[in-house]
Amino acid sequence: MNVERIDAYRWRIPRQGGMRTEGLIFADEQLMRDLEGDQAVQQLANVAHLPGIVGPAIAMPDIHWGYGFPIGGVAAFDEAEGVVSPGGVGYDINCGVRLLATPLTLAEARPRLRQLVDTLYATIPSGVGASRSDVRLARDDLEQVLRQGARWAVEQGYGDPADLEAIEANGTLPDADPDCVSDRAKERGKSQLGTVGSGNHFVEVGYVAERYDERVADRLGLGAATVTVFIHSGSRGLGYQVCDDHLDLMLKAAAKYGIALPDRQLCCAPLGSAEGKRYWGAMNAAANYAFANRQLMAHYARRALGTVFGEATAQRSRLVYDVCHNIAKHETHEVAGARTRVCVHRKGATRAFPPRHAELAPQFRDIGQPVLIPGDMGRYSYVLVGTAGAFTETFGSTCHGAGRRLSRHKAKQLARPRNILKELEAQGILIRAATRATVDEEMPEAYKDVARVVDVVDRAGIGKKVAQLKPVGVVKG
Amino acid sequence: MTPYRFVPHTADVAAELRAESERGLYQAGVDALRNLLVGTSPVRSLEQRPIAVRGTDPTERLVRFLGDVLYLYDTERFLPDRVLPLGVSGEPFDPARHHALREVKAVTYHGAAVVPDGDGYRATLVFDV
Repeated sequence: MNVERIDAYRWRIPRQGGMRTEGLIFADEQLMRDLEGDQAVQQLANVAHLPGIVGPAIAMPDIHWGYGFPIGGVAAFDEAEGVVSPGGVGYDINCGVRLLATPLTLAEARPRLRQLVDTLYATIPSGVGASRSDVRLARDDLEQVLRQGARWAVEQGYGDPADLEAIEANGTLPDADPDCVSDRAKERGKSQLGTVGSGNHFVEVGYVAERYDERVADRLGLGAATVTVFIHSGSRGLGYQVCDDHLDLMLKAAAKYGIALPDRQLCCAPLGSAEGKRYWGAMNAAANYAFANRQLMAHYARRALGTVFGEATAQRSRLVYDVCHNIAKHETHEVAGARTRVCVHRKGATRAFPPRHAELAPQFRDIGQPVLIPGDMGRYSYVLVGTAGAFTETFGSTCHGAGRRLSRHKAKQLARPRNILKELEAQGILIRAATRATVDEEMPEAYKDVARVVDVVDRAGIGKKVAQLKPVGVVKG
Repeated sequence: MTPYRFVPHTADVAAELRAESERGLYQAGVDALRNLLVGTSPVRSLEQRPIAVRGTDPTERLVRFLGDVLYLYDTERFLPDRVLPLGVSGEPFDPARHHALREVKAVTYHGAAVVPDGDGYRATLVFDV
């Protein structure tokens, strides 16, 4: 694959073969070297083959090999000529992150951190088969979750109405159609609301370790040493099933509409087709489920804070933001000098709208949309804000995380003679996890250094660093 | 012939399956999936669940069969043991006897391919974990 360097942080895949547009990768030299031998670059070129693609097929610095689209991929499609692809969203629809800022400083919280981590572990089910016996959804409730997302949760008393203003799309995607979600998906989702899941999902207690923009950090409630709770989860089994169900349909649809696929994982359907609309309704419903899931998890995190530090701490723990990193959305962007409605796929990429964007809640209008970038459980995570640069270059998108460096098998091999739990505890990070296997597979060395990823987006101008968070307690599935 | 082996994959888990028949491939896939879910915890054939084989080609049939097996685990905690002509046999997850290792989100088409191999078949599969 021919890749040309544009500048220190940008690389171009020129149009070749059946590509309808070029590819654009944001990375520094080291990250590009890391990509050698990875199929992600070819996958990005494959995305550029899809009908109706507008602007370049874009990859963020945390790009790696994924299903169909690379993870860290962004692609926008013309609403009339373009397609929607489940591979451009991912299995975990609206996988995303949410950050709470507590009124505590690290010094105030330190004496009861162990109790907090234990209480979070007991309060928010994690791991294989995690379900909540206290949140059993009747069929009508599930329909409302799928239609209303986080708004349903707030109306049921899980959180505060003010939370909704600090969630992408206010936590409700109006295009959701529960009738497009299969009974199988509903069955998988009915007892998993408010649970973490396993793998790379987590609930993490951290603190503000560095502030790069004090004015914005203050506005977000991220004072120096402020204790935070970071939540990473998605639409659980319901979303996985929605993806699975529609891959079968999309394979047939691609053939039906004569779409030449360089890779069958890119199966897709025209946005206006019956198949495209059906996936759209189901995908938005699953995204609403994920918003409700994180809303419940945040509610139970507040309950844990209340149990350990008192009710006032729970009530004063504010939602900083909640953002999706696996989603497709209709948005207005400037294309060839004209404001155009396009369907933006973000798979392992985060929306990063700039200051003054009309879709932002009033409290973010002058600072830009908060962007939450989790790292690994031993180092740090970041809070950024969206920029005008992202809006011009990447359809208002930026990176989403660190990206794995080692396979799970390799990580386990490396961890076997060691005790990762003890090593992290010696660094002041308490871990609670259902199994040792998860801790070993998720060891910090298994991930790339997220600081490098974030530095690239900051220097390239497609995100602006606000604060760095360091972990002190992590609940893993 | 080794029925399955895990092969390196950075983000997820990939497995290579070998068998003399399509049904043998399903068994190899079930064995790999069970290993991911509960490791070497012994699973007995105490109950049966029906699974209809669906799909237009061997790859689609294999992915969908294993997807159905995963669905049984996700919704009923039913652990598979043997592939039967019309489904699978196995037993419900028992925390006293089975060690839950991880959640498997999906059996994907990512790199999935069933190809003839000598007198039998070979397949690669990626499990999204």
